[in-house]
Amino acid sequence: MRILEHPILNFERGKLITFTFNDKSIEGYEGETIAAALHAAGVRSLSHSTEKHRPRGLFCAIGNCSSCLMEVNGEPNVRICVEELKEGMVVRTQTGKGDLI
Amino acid sequence: MMPVEILIIGGGPAGLCAAIQAAEMGSKVLVVDRNNSLGGQLVKQTHMFFGSEKQYASTRGFDIAELLLDKIDKMDNVEVMKSTTVLGIFEDGVVTLENNGKYIKIKPKATIVSTGASEKNLAFPNNDLPGVYGAGAVQTLMNEYGVKPGNNVLMIGAGNIGLIVSYQLMQAGVKVEAIVEAAPTIGGYLVHASKVRRMGVPIYTGYSIKEAHGKDSLEKAIIWQLDEKWNGIPGTEKELDVDVICISVGLSPLSELLWQAGCQMKYIHEFGGFVPARDENLQTSVKGIFVAGDVAGVEEASSAMVEGYIAGMSAASYLGYKLYNMQEVKDDLMQQLNSLRHGPVGEKIRNGITSLMIDNEAAASIDAFK
Repeated sequence: MRILEHPILNFERGKLITFTFNDKSIEGYEGETIAAALHAAGVRSLSHSTEKHRPRGLFCAIGNCSSCLMEVNGEPNVRICVEELKEGMVVRTQTGKGDLI
Repeated sequence: MMPVEILIIGGGPAGLCAAIQAAEMGSKVLVVDRNNSLGGQLVKQTHMFFGSEKQYASTRGFDIAELLLDKIDKMDNVEVMKSTTVLGIFEDGVVTLENNGKYIKIKPKATIVSTGASEKNLAFPNNDLPGVYGAGAVQTLMNEYGVKPGNNVLMIGAGNIGLIVSYQLMQAGVKVEAIVEAAPTIGGYLVHASKVRRMGVPIYTGYSIKEAHGKDSLEKAIIWQLDEKWNGIPGTEKELDVDVICISVGLSPLSELLWQAGCQMKYIHEFGGFVPARDENLQTSVKGIFVAGDVAGVEEASSAMVEGYIAGMSAASYLGYKLYNMQEVKDDLMQQLNSLRHGPVGEKIRNGITSLMIDNEAAASIDAFK
């Protein structure tokens, strides 16, 4: 789902790196957000509503709406639409509101 | 506590222009932005701007961001803090910030709030399915990161954003199945509408979305025609196989900090929600707190930039900094705003502003910077 050709834009992507999503290894580019990398890999369902467990994806992609909260390197409630992807990151869908302790 | 003269919250088009103007007059400026780069939403605007040369008409949004950032880079009296979120504005004038887990307190002599706006959603069954995105989110994915939001899109809203993003989707190689617009006429410029129509995208006016369907993510959308009371007409449903619904039904000002600071707020429908009362210098009812851009009323990036210059000038002049031809510059900026706000859409904006105007001598109920 990456855009390879564009009439106006020239995407200067960073280094190709690897991270894991629910124990599965996925590739992405340094400098992009976790959400962009997951989306490019076809992962659109990011979280679940706390009561009815309905699947949720991103809505705003700029850190306003909190529809994309996930667990990153053990820390819950990370807005992955604004969190930069780093080599070796461990990204997981979180259950409920996330556990801090 | 860090001494700061002018704090600017949000480094989008309004905040950047405010910083440039205030710094040009000699004041020391701190620009704080929660993102790790400045430019706000300009960086994902691939289209050429309207307006006049003074607001960089015919220049693409991301190039405008570069131009403004270049200017800021060259100014010694502008400090920038990225990845920094403003947490609160307190009664004694203290502003608290968070940067990488660090809690910072500052006490600016004046503050310009230019936090922008957030996208509105629309109520319909299954509007929370993954694949239902705001138009800005789609721009972020495809124009900033080069990722397609999906393969087949239903666009909701035929205002300028809906039309422009539809065109941008096609540039990215994504099929736009249809654009629906609940109003009986297209809201955006006809030049944009013609462009997408020429590329074969139908625009259904008087139509809206009835419901979305899908298991783990969006698979289908049902649209239907609306009657004159904007209720759906049974029997007019059309089914569209889409994996993306893009919602562009307007924005709502990100005004939390203004509420917290005790600024007098007023609901103005045309501005997208609650916006601050202000005087012509863009000072709110709280002395020393100025506003610019979408948080002061949702308009466009062009007017946000002009408001930024005005707010920057007002804040600097509030602290005693002067320009030899200040009145002349101010008149010119006001003139630019007026010409951006001409026409039938502009009329609503002008009316909205009139009802927001306060006389700060009389209305300043709270003085946060005594």
